[in-house]
Amino acid sequence: MISFQNVSFSYPDSERPAIQNINLEVAPGTLALVIGESGSGKSTLLRCVNGLVPHFSGGSLQGNVRVNGLDPVQATPKVMSRHVGFIFQDPEAQFVVDRVEDEIAFALENFALPAEEIRMRVAEVLDLLSLKALRYRRLETLSGGERQRVAMATALVMRPEVLVLDEPTSQLDPKSAHDVLETLVRLNRTLDLTVLLAEHRIERVLPFADQLIALNVEGNGGISGPPRQVFTQTDITPPVVTLGKELGWQPLPMTVEEGRKFIPDIESRTPKSETIPTPVSHKGEPFLQIHDLEVRYGNQIILDRVNLDLLQGEILVLMGPNGAGKTTLLRTIVGLLQPAKGKVIAGGVDISNKRMDEICRAVGYLPQDPNALLFADSALEELMITLRNHAGKMDAAGEQEADRTARALLERLELINQADDYPRDLSVGQRQRVALGAITVTKPKTLLLDEPTRGLDYGAKQSLAQLLRGWRDEGMAILLVTHDVELAAEVADRAAILKQGKISSCGDPSRVMRSSVRFTPQIARLFPYTDWLTVQDALIGIRQIFS
Amino acid sequence: MIHTWAWIGWLISALVALSITRNPLYLFLILLCIALVGWTQERRLSSESSQTQNLLPFSPFKFVLVIITLSALFNAVISHFGETVLFSLPEWLPFLGGPITLEALAFGAINGLVLGGIFAAFTVLNLALPVRSLVRLIPRAYYPVAVITSIAITFIPNATRQFHHIREAQAIRGHRVRGLRGWLPLIMPLLVGGLERALGLAEAMTARGFASSEGGNQTSQTRLGMVLGLLMLFGGWLLRLIEGGQLLGIGLMILGITLIAAMLWSIGRSVPRTNYNQEIWRFRDFLVLIGSMGVISAFLLPIPWIDQSILHYNPYPILNLPGFDPLIGAATMGLLIPIFIIKPK
Repeated sequence: MISFQNVSFSYPDSERPAIQNINLEVAPGTLALVIGESGSGKSTLLRCVNGLVPHFSGGSLQGNVRVNGLDPVQATPKVMSRHVGFIFQDPEAQFVVDRVEDEIAFALENFALPAEEIRMRVAEVLDLLSLKALRYRRLETLSGGERQRVAMATALVMRPEVLVLDEPTSQLDPKSAHDVLETLVRLNRTLDLTVLLAEHRIERVLPFADQLIALNVEGNGGISGPPRQVFTQTDITPPVVTLGKELGWQPLPMTVEEGRKFIPDIESRTPKSETIPTPVSHKGEPFLQIHDLEVRYGNQIILDRVNLDLLQGEILVLMGPNGAGKTTLLRTIVGLLQPAKGKVIAGGVDISNKRMDEICRAVGYLPQDPNALLFADSALEELMITLRNHAGKMDAAGEQEADRTARALLERLELINQADDYPRDLSVGQRQRVALGAITVTKPKTLLLDEPTRGLDYGAKQSLAQLLRGWRDEGMAILLVTHDVELAAEVADRAAILKQGKISSCGDPSRVMRSSVRFTPQIARLFPYTDWLTVQDALIGIRQIFS
Repeated sequence: MIHTWAWIGWLISALVALSITRNPLYLFLILLCIALVGWTQERRLSSESSQTQNLLPFSPFKFVLVIITLSALFNAVISHFGETVLFSLPEWLPFLGGPITLEALAFGAINGLVLGGIFAAFTVLNLALPVRSLVRLIPRAYYPVAVITSIAITFIPNATRQFHHIREAQAIRGHRVRGLRGWLPLIMPLLVGGLERALGLAEAMTARGFASSEGGNQTSQTRLGMVLGLLMLFGGWLLRLIEGGQLLGIGLMILGITLIAAMLWSIGRSVPRTNYNQEIWRFRDFLVLIGSMGVISAFLLPIPWIDQSILHYNPYPILNLPGFDPLIGAATMGLLIPIFIIKPK
């Protein structure tokens, strides 16, 4: 169905090719997963399939691409749109009109199909994706998962043979992501649709993937084949595969269910009540205390008497479904929203009625979209601006001191070589760290982070985790809101789950994360009778048992 | 759903009423009717959604209040007519110096009511009609223009929401707007983000097979026809101004409009596009239209038992109580008919 032969592509004015010597074949009805670090060319590869590269992007393409016998370069994206449905990372960014039904019909109206056929196709796709109830809804009133399903419907209504998706679940909570993937797999199996999908959170998609395409930043051709075979040649692996590789399990397990076949021996030798390993305690005095916090939008209660303490020197991970009130909680803490009841105490001082700039000196808050923060000409200037905002006018000595502080932080953020670069030219992970720098340069005692791993690859997530652990060890109190259960497992000292505006559980991460299957990391599902959460925990635990 | 044309009729009647009267009692009444229809519509939309976000990125009620206040203050400091002097500004202040009068304040507030009413009526229409319904009103000959309009309509609320996010993000790093340079941290991310979003949308539309070159084929005949039609329309309007040329002028204008419509239809035929979701005209749409016609008739047509002089009101030279004809008041209630049709789910 899809074939790449010696395909290389360079963007205009780019010194190195985005993809190089790609050779791959994707058979009809295959669900192929594309993995790779940021900048490895995943998006470029996907855009070659429908001709957006090079027609939309410009640049030079070498080699042969064939999709269902067509050459996308010659056929143009207009013709390819009938064969290839393309779904982007942010569904909101691809909507043209404002209502579900109109959005689905837009492309068909554009192709001037008879009204009767449009009606039939729209009804068919609404049924297929269980969107009937949303037919007349405004797009802005839909949840993230619903929007992504509408985006799928807009592509499927063209009855394509191939569906291409660029990180479709990156902005969704685990449940919505699961629903979207389940729909995708159903389409793949029932319609024999060929699916090509790029994703950073591999563990979500791997159970359904027939083929894996791994790209690397060096752009030396990539590897394509059955997942088991490809994973032996790449380091980008989900926890269960990483553990399997470390312990030499053969055949390499791709899912938790496959991994369980290897553990009866370990299970029989693990004392059920024993805690392995003992978590390191960093906990100090409570720095941030939230008492009976209630927030309303009109008559609707968003946060319902929330009580939460954040201790000095700990990372508290807050999880929960979309719309549970996680972002509202963070916005209320920093004074962007006024609570109807309750109070927030930081360092012993009630900050509920303080000015926002006063609060933000003690409490740093990184919002979901780091781009909203960045506007200066360089990464260094971004940090300097925050310092000037808080200090007012600085004399020459003050400027020098601020420069030293900002450079020291950039060093720590591993951005010192990018100090003079324009922030929006940096990678997603680097941009995220510049924004983090702009927030933390005033050395707040508490840091609140809202979904900081959106769009980050494994490497960027690891460096973020390392940074947070470092700050935690220095005594910073960190409240991390995330859907990324694997990152949560890596860094959490405590975990809490917020559901419908209420804290449903809070405490030891191994207990809290096991309380809901949606928030349980792979290792915890693999070893349900231990309190292990990460590959590292499992390796230490297993070595202890067998020593 | 109320038919698009019924809503357009409702909008026209509200605009006609707002532009004809300067009587603050009627203006209040019209604004109240519009607000009630808007409130019902917003409740209906909210009941459809489990999401908590606001359907509009700002409060229209507050915005109307701001318009009225600003208009009143602006007129009070610019116009110094009126007999009820509240206080005086020093004479040496250019333009502003002189007495501040109650009458000037009232006159400004009345103008504000008109502007606020127009804004509110369009806001209600925006809430009530999907973008696609509005865009379908644009002649098919200008299909790319229609698509661009649809994007622009959906883009503005998105940009406004984005602006709120940016303002919050900058505030939490201690930013406060001081002078023109203080706007830079707010404007720059908005502009760059807007450009990035526009590029993203352009890419998505290309992937969905949209090509902007698919406008109607304008032949030299159709172009000539359009120019001729416009000339006739303009010439007719000029003729109407000349003594005795009124009838000829109107005839020429009608001919011009017919020619333009014919050319648009002709160009539109060459645009391959389907309107699959044809709306059905129902009895309830008829009721909305009847209500709107009632409002227009009461405000515009010379009906013997209605005293339309009461619609004109001037607070100068001394503020006086405006009159009120209950028949016009009752006719204005025609604007409320959509309330009985829009039901929260």
